[in-house]
Amino acid sequence: MSTQEMLLLGFAAAVLLAWYLSYSAARLDRLHGRVEGTLAVLDAALVRRAEAALELANSGVLDPASALLLADASAQSLSEAVDAPGGREMVESELTEAIRLSLPDEVVAVVRAEHVDGTDAIDRLSAANDRVQLARRFHNDAVTAVRQVRRKVVVRWFRLAGHADLPRTVEFDDDIPTGLRG
Amino acid sequence: MRIGIVCPYSFDVPGGVQFHVRDLAEYFIAQGHHVSVLAPANDETADLPPYVVTCGRAVPVRYNGSVARLTFGPVTGARVAKWLENGGFDVLHLHEPVTPSASMLALWASEGPTVATFHTSNLRSRAMQAAYPLVRASLEKIGGRIAVSEDARRTVTTHVGGDAVVIPNGVYVDRFASAATDPRWVGTPDRPTVAFLGRMEEPRKGMPVLAAALPAVIAAVPGVRVLVAGPGDAKEVTAGMSRETVAACEFLGPVSEEDKARLLRSVDVYVAPNTGGESFGIILIEAMSAGTAVLASDIPAFVRVLDGGTAGRTFANENPADLARVLVDLLRDRDERLSVAAAGALRARVFDWSVVAEDVMAVYETVTAGAAAAADAADPSGLWARVVRMGRGSGLE
Repeated sequence: MSTQEMLLLGFAAAVLLAWYLSYSAARLDRLHGRVEGTLAVLDAALVRRAEAALELANSGVLDPASALLLADASAQSLSEAVDAPGGREMVESELTEAIRLSLPDEVVAVVRAEHVDGTDAIDRLSAANDRVQLARRFHNDAVTAVRQVRRKVVVRWFRLAGHADLPRTVEFDDDIPTGLRG
Repeated sequence: MRIGIVCPYSFDVPGGVQFHVRDLAEYFIAQGHHVSVLAPANDETADLPPYVVTCGRAVPVRYNGSVARLTFGPVTGARVAKWLENGGFDVLHLHEPVTPSASMLALWASEGPTVATFHTSNLRSRAMQAAYPLVRASLEKIGGRIAVSEDARRTVTTHVGGDAVVIPNGVYVDRFASAATDPRWVGTPDRPTVAFLGRMEEPRKGMPVLAAALPAVIAAVPGVRVLVAGPGDAKEVTAGMSRETVAACEFLGPVSEEDKARLLRSVDVYVAPNTGGESFGIILIEAMSAGTAVLASDIPAFVRVLDGGTAGRTFANENPADLARVLVDLLRDRDERLSVAAAGALRARVFDWSVVAEDVMAVYETVTAGAAAAADAADPSGLWARVVRMGRGSGLE
């Protein structure tokens, strides 16, 4: 093999590598973008859920003790001060717990039977919680995909992820009683 | 919203996925959305609904253990790309994206917000493992995954990776609830009627189990009539039966959608003796919608549809003696039958398209919002600038 041929081969290999790196970087970039999007949606869904819970707490259909419990948990979720131990995930789990405790099936049944406004508020909270579940599931899917790609050898060796943090899944309890659904 | 839906199977051939796509598209069109469905067709001159665009002729191919009519190749690929380009869709909804057909091609070409629904519960991992690196980069484009049942969801988590939200198949409950009864099929106290629907020669549909149970049922309820609807050769089924059993069976052959609703509405008990391989059991919901008592084998998919066995009766799978015992109970006890039917009719409402399609719309909205937020977050200064950008937070805190 002549030197020229060797050079040509080397050049071809370099081009191929460059293309593959560029392709992998673009793919990873798309995935990072997707994670940012899903996280923004999850954030918005959590705010809406907390607002719906606060609205229900203030609607007067619950007993004062339950209402205070629910209002406290939703206000904590809405406040900026989410650097509590465990962070926001803990706060959101607590809100879910407060929803479960303040709205057992028998209370929901009474509200649905007697209060039109209260029924609307419960429906809104239930729908908002459904959106939280969807947003969290889709976010975690996106995170899983990013983490899979970032485990690849070329991504690690060539530092294709740059300085972007390794995203992590968001884990909290978002399971509310089925009685809340209409 | 402009919605593009892709169906991988021939639209002019009946099938679960095709009916699902048709009903979903028609629901959203009635809601005022713009919907276009891309699907292959066996006969491109066939009379297809106006919202369907064909992407080529489907050819029968052996894939995933059975013969499916699929479409692929460069011509189809070009048509799919053109449909996507002309559609200007806000959201693209693919069905069965890991089937080598139009959905996979659309996913490959897709750049916008994408939702995918997984229907199958018996995906073989061989193909997925062999082609996984090839398919995975495409699968990453799916912003929201839906599985039609827990079994389908398990298929996603084990063979595809990641997770999916469960949104069940839908039924237009009122179409069944308001169907007219047919005097030929209505049971009387002396001659109660039992219906079986499905391919009778396919053993997993359970006809052999029902046939084995019939002698005991006839002994207890001599007037019982068993109406068997669906394609298949009746002679093959009756071959090993006694004369009394054959006399109790009436073979209706394949029935139209309208006749299916009227049959389910008319009979006293609908029996689903399927032995497995079912991901969902839409026919159970149709029978429940029609206000008929359902008796089904206790396979996981059916038990879930029946809400743990409260919305219908179940029997031990592949056990003719247990089937006969419960069926005789139901046929003899009218009150029990009516209360099972009432529980079923209530349960069926959960699967009405008005509920199911709204859940699907919530997925569309979540995914399009995520794509919009991702586009907003994108740094306009180009690819490499983003790749080497300095640490951006990516946790919730």
